Amino acid sequence: MNTNTTIDLLERYLQAIGQSLPPANREDVLNELRANLTAQIDDREEELDRPLTEPELAAILKAHGRPEVVAMRYQPQRYLIGPSIFPFYLLTMRRVLPFVVAIYYVANFVKIAATRNGIGSIAGGLVDSTFQLIPVLFLWLGVMTIIFAILERTHESCGKKWHLDEWSPAKLPPVKPQDAKKRRSLVSRVADLAFHCLWMAYVIEVPRHPYLLFGPGYSFVARLQVGWAPVWHTFYVALWFLLLVQLGIKIANLFEGVGRWRTPLDLTSKVFGVVLIGWLVSAGTYIVATGPGTDLHTLAIVNHWIGVSFKIAMLFMLLDIAIEVWKYLRPHIPVARLAF
Amino acid sequence: MDTSSNSTPDSQIFDSLRLELRRGCLIVAVLAQLKTEHYGYTLRKALADQGLAIEESTLYPLLRRLETQQLLTSQWREEDKRNKRFYKLSPQGETILTQLLAEWNSINGSVNNILQNSHAEVIS
Repeated sequence: MNTNTTIDLLERYLQAIGQSLPPANREDVLNELRANLTAQIDDREEELDRPLTEPELAAILKAHGRPEVVAMRYQPQRYLIGPSIFPFYLLTMRRVLPFVVAIYYVANFVKIAATRNGIGSIAGGLVDSTFQLIPVLFLWLGVMTIIFAILERTHESCGKKWHLDEWSPAKLPPVKPQDAKKRRSLVSRVADLAFHCLWMAYVIEVPRHPYLLFGPGYSFVARLQVGWAPVWHTFYVALWFLLLVQLGIKIANLFEGVGRWRTPLDLTSKVFGVVLIGWLVSAGTYIVATGPGTDLHTLAIVNHWIGVSFKIAMLFMLLDIAIEVWKYLRPHIPVARLAF
Repeated sequence: MDTSSNSTPDSQIFDSLRLELRRGCLIVAVLAQLKTEHYGYTLRKALADQGLAIEESTLYPLLRRLETQQLLTSQWREEDKRNKRFYKLSPQGETILTQLLAEWNSINGSVNNILQNSHAEVIS
């Protein structure tokens, strides 16, 4: 190996490797590599009985490996979160993610509900929130990764300080009774029906006995010269329709054979409930003045906050539906797609 | 000895498993070969001559790692008017190699027993 071109190519290759090596042992590693590669080149030239051409040397260097990869192999294995911590990292991310999303939406919905009016405006606010969720999730992912990377470093430097290998099979949670989970007991279903009947009786009596709704505060409300807005009459009819549908579902639940329809039926009735609340939200006026002595400013404030409370209730109902839909669909989603 | 060929899923699985299988074996082979002194390039040639080809980019960093673990000793020396780093098995390396070979023989014996038993079950 004596031509300037081949020496230059070898040195350029070694220089490229050296750029990715730590300074502490850079020269030592490069000298060793130079000696090994030179010996290999000499061997090849001896076989061919002539100096190597530039393409032939390039082929040897290419077979030796890309400079960055070669340099990386001289360094200790590096990772942000190692194999002993990574399962805990993944588990934490999976467990915490739903709470992050839920807290984010609840906080945003309360803010939207307090500042916007009308279904369209609220829906627009929710869409905006959804887009803003993406950077929030990235930020959360980054913070969690940094926390676990710090744990990894601490874990490595403190040896067995975190005691991750210490666990007891006896402390594992009991096996979930799958069948019992799918099918509630008859006692539970009968109790559910009984409570629903009591709830219907309550709904029947509220218009005739308003103190059932306002409690001891009814005498105060009666003096305010206010009454129900017309929206409640329509709502009451729709509510009755919903309660009757739910009664039918609960009665059907008492019998065997409707198990697989239970969740879709429950979901349908919940969706109908959300539509009802949504309709109330869009109404805006819930209490109207019935006499000349009513403070209209206070009435407007009361109507506003009743609207806000309906918006919040609607959010919780939507979250409930989302969770139910997820639980219902989860067994049908391939395991590989749930791997995150 | 390179049996990797096309990139079908089966061959990818085979290549990945083969890599895992070879990883431990290579260390044993390198330690055994370094009972006599070698520098990187001649060690690679010696292993290849005995049917165990190994990439330079795998072997040279491996030598460094084994030296850090005090299983090898090394020294720079001039040979053919060139400075080369020669490696040799250390006394600690000798001990570890003996233990690894015992483990290797034990695994080999177990796998052979399993294969013989399963062969006998198939016949009966």
